[in-house]
Amino acid sequence: MKKIEAVIQPFKLEEVKAALIGIGVDGMTVLEVRGHGRQKGHKEVYRGQEYVVDLLPKVKLELVVPDARADEVIRTLIRSARTGKIGDGKIFVSEIAEAIRIRNEDRGEAAL
Amino acid sequence: MAKPHSDGNGGEQTAWRAVKERFFASGSAAAVLAACSELAERSVLAAYQQHLAPVLPQGLALAAVGGFGRRELYPHSDVDLLVVLGRAQTGPLKEGLSSFLRVLWDGGFRVSHSVRTVRECLELRDDNTELTISLLDRRFLAGDRLVYAQMDEGLPQLLRSHRRRLTEQLCRLARSRHAKYQGTIFHLEPNVKDSPGGLRDLHLLEWLDQLREDPLVRSAWLEELGSAREFLARLRCFLHFRSGRDDNVLSFDAQEEFAHTGFGRACSTEEWMRQYYLHARAVFGSAVRAMELGERRSSSLLGEFFAWRSRLATADFSVSRESVLLRSPQRIFHEPEIVLRLFRFVALHGLKLAWETERRIQEALGAIERHYSHRGPHWPALLEVLAMSHAGSALAAMNATGVLGAVFPEWRRIECLVVRDFYHRYTVDEHTLRAIQALDELMATADGNRTWLAGLATEIERADLLRFALLFHDVGKGEAGGCHIERSLELVEAVMERIQLPLIERRLVRWLIARHLDLSAAMTSRDLDDPATARFLAERVETLERLKYLTLITYADISAVNPGAMTPWRLELLRRLYLTAHHELNRELATCRIEVAASDDPERSEFLEGLPVRYVRVHAEEEIDRHLELARRCRERGVAVELVRRDGVHLVTVVARDRPFLFASIAGALAGFGMNILKAEAYTNRRGFAVDNFVFEDPARTLELNPSEAGRLCLTLERVILGKVRARDLLQSRPKRIRPSRASRIEPRVAFDSGASENATLIEIVAEDRPGLLYDLARTISEAGCNIEVVLIDTKAHKAIDVFYVTFEGGKLGAAQQETLRRALIEAARPDS
Repeated sequence: MKKIEAVIQPFKLEEVKAALIGIGVDGMTVLEVRGHGRQKGHKEVYRGQEYVVDLLPKVKLELVVPDARADEVIRTLIRSARTGKIGDGKIFVSEIAEAIRIRNEDRGEAAL
Repeated sequence: MAKPHSDGNGGEQTAWRAVKERFFASGSAAAVLAACSELAERSVLAAYQQHLAPVLPQGLALAAVGGFGRRELYPHSDVDLLVVLGRAQTGPLKEGLSSFLRVLWDGGFRVSHSVRTVRECLELRDDNTELTISLLDRRFLAGDRLVYAQMDEGLPQLLRSHRRRLTEQLCRLARSRHAKYQGTIFHLEPNVKDSPGGLRDLHLLEWLDQLREDPLVRSAWLEELGSAREFLARLRCFLHFRSGRDDNVLSFDAQEEFAHTGFGRACSTEEWMRQYYLHARAVFGSAVRAMELGERRSSSLLGEFFAWRSRLATADFSVSRESVLLRSPQRIFHEPEIVLRLFRFVALHGLKLAWETERRIQEALGAIERHYSHRGPHWPALLEVLAMSHAGSALAAMNATGVLGAVFPEWRRIECLVVRDFYHRYTVDEHTLRAIQALDELMATADGNRTWLAGLATEIERADLLRFALLFHDVGKGEAGGCHIERSLELVEAVMERIQLPLIERRLVRWLIARHLDLSAAMTSRDLDDPATARFLAERVETLERLKYLTLITYADISAVNPGAMTPWRLELLRRLYLTAHHELNRELATCRIEVAASDDPERSEFLEGLPVRYVRVHAEEEIDRHLELARRCRERGVAVELVRRDGVHLVTVVARDRPFLFASIAGALAGFGMNILKAEAYTNRRGFAVDNFVFEDPARTLELNPSEAGRLCLTLERVILGKVRARDLLQSRPKRIRPSRASRIEPRVAFDSGASENATLIEIVAEDRPGLLYDLARTISEAGCNIEVVLIDTKAHKAIDVFYVTFEGGKLGAAQQETLRRALIEAARPDS
């Protein structure tokens, strides 16, 4: 099993969610987060005062999928979240040792 | 109790099934409560005989307390027992008690018990008030009658001597319970026991009744709330049977199931949820009043007298303990319009209504409704309520007393209306009132992340219209299907017509309701870094003024969805959205010019061509026609000036051939007459004619008191514009100003932006307002040899926000030139320069 974490632009959330549901992914966790990557924010001027905006609002998606599906999910994420500009976000993939459904103690991929 | 596990000798399980079946057939809660109490009692008595009586035949009494004591045991509620002892016991009692409890637990009862001596029961300590409160519902079950009688007979004395302390403690507990539910009954998934207006509040009323000094005052509410009690009890029985445990949360699923059950009366989920809220409102209202009354009685008469003579009192209203009373309560029947003056008083001082006042209003609701159902000039009195800083709480009080529905029958469509989704926590009416309160709270916020928004709230001109638009923004949700915004617009149109809202003000209300979802939609669906988004937003909001209104309405609307909806994350998105639109609207002031198609009226085309797009957005057709007339006069005489009075301020419009120092001269001449400039806009069309608008106040009322002064002002303006008189000479005798307090000082800030336009430089200045400020700034720019292309000036609460687009020899300003001008402008903007 793989855990896929994707940090994306907030305005892409609906499109990404629809694309994932479209390929049959039905479980995901969505978090409202703030952060920055290489772009490290920027300066804004409002009425003569400078504001440093270093933490930008982003959306983080977390999903755990069977190994066999990971590639397809990642491709779908990239396709639906990309605008081609700075700030599109990142995807992180990690191994999951175990998954347990609390209700009935199903384990492994059966619990996903 | 709980569902009996086994059929004992008494046939408990069979009896239980029969109770449940009877409930679903009849919907009668009273029968369930009595039957459950009886079933529990039978088992408790059997267990007592078997395990406790043999151990301690004397010196121990068994009492029922809580719901069991009241014979109101719900199917899965705890069975509350009190073991009263003549004196402290050890040894055999402990074993007997554990067998007694085990039998009951094994029988499926959830027993909650305590063991106390008679002496402990008749003591009041801080850590045992709950015991004393539980004793209010005591009932003898079994055991030593003498021991029970000792406790029972001593208790009235205890209650009498600690009446005040117990009342206060009860009220404190109730208030903290209410606070857990944000003090509102309007939760979409309420708890029928603990939410405000739930069964616990009915118990509170009973307890406070028992603690009252004068037994004759008792129970007036009991009859009034009879149907609410039956309704809530039925609901709680249903919830217990439905989930098989002590579950009191009326979830969305439970609401639907209950609607299907119907109990003989088929109606939709929304309809009967409305009934729920109406009952809960009645219960909560009575509970709040009873608490006020209870707490008031526990104070001294002298305190009452002084409170009465509050300094806030007026000829119509008096104030006692922060609550407003009518001086002549009968007046409201033959003079119903006094009700809006009353709520204006509430909105001004942030007070609440005394319950006597609420009662009186409720009796007069018919007269109030008849009065406001006729078309009439009701708006000025409403404006007075809506413009006050506590308008939100005044509107909430208007809603609670039914006045809001009586004045605006349209409001009733959303009263107690449930919206079924995962985000909304409150009914539509409560959401609306919370949105308005969110704005009121914003004005006083100390949160650094919200200061920019609080700033916008002080800069808008018509907070009353913003609140009015919010009040009706979701009123169309009262109807199924279709777009609620369109329906809200239809309904508000009827309201505005009936209260005779001035036509020009209706435009903003309509626009705000129509657009109230635009920014929140853009927040989550548009790329804020994309220039196309900035253009889209600017087209949507049209002007900087409207952007402020829309940002505030968006903030209020989201904040009122649920207590955690306005996260720092959303706030940051909203701020970015505001900035994106703000920068774009500033940019297009200089870049987006009117291009007129050849087919239009040639004179009009000639006049409009080259003016900023903003010009047609902020001026109505009639105004443009008047400006055209001025342009005609200007061609004949070189200048045309028009002065009009509108809504307590003056507006002067000048059309003249553009020249250096033109704007500065007009600003200087107005300041020389002692006028206080609030707003100004200046543009130049392609033919080199300038259209300058100034809105100003006349603090000394010169124009009002001396009719000839208006003519002299116009003449002076013409002479200044034509260069026959110097503005500087007029300013020699300008009046000394009164400076605001030190706390409100604003340090001048000047910012340059060369990227905002293709050929002009944007200068944005924020400074503390003072007479002659605009003249000093404009003069400084002109003295630097710069040409002023576009000007937009706004002043609110001593803060001047000035935007100038300037060119130097037809192009942008260089870096060194900017620095020199910045220093000069800061110097010119200083409060004492």
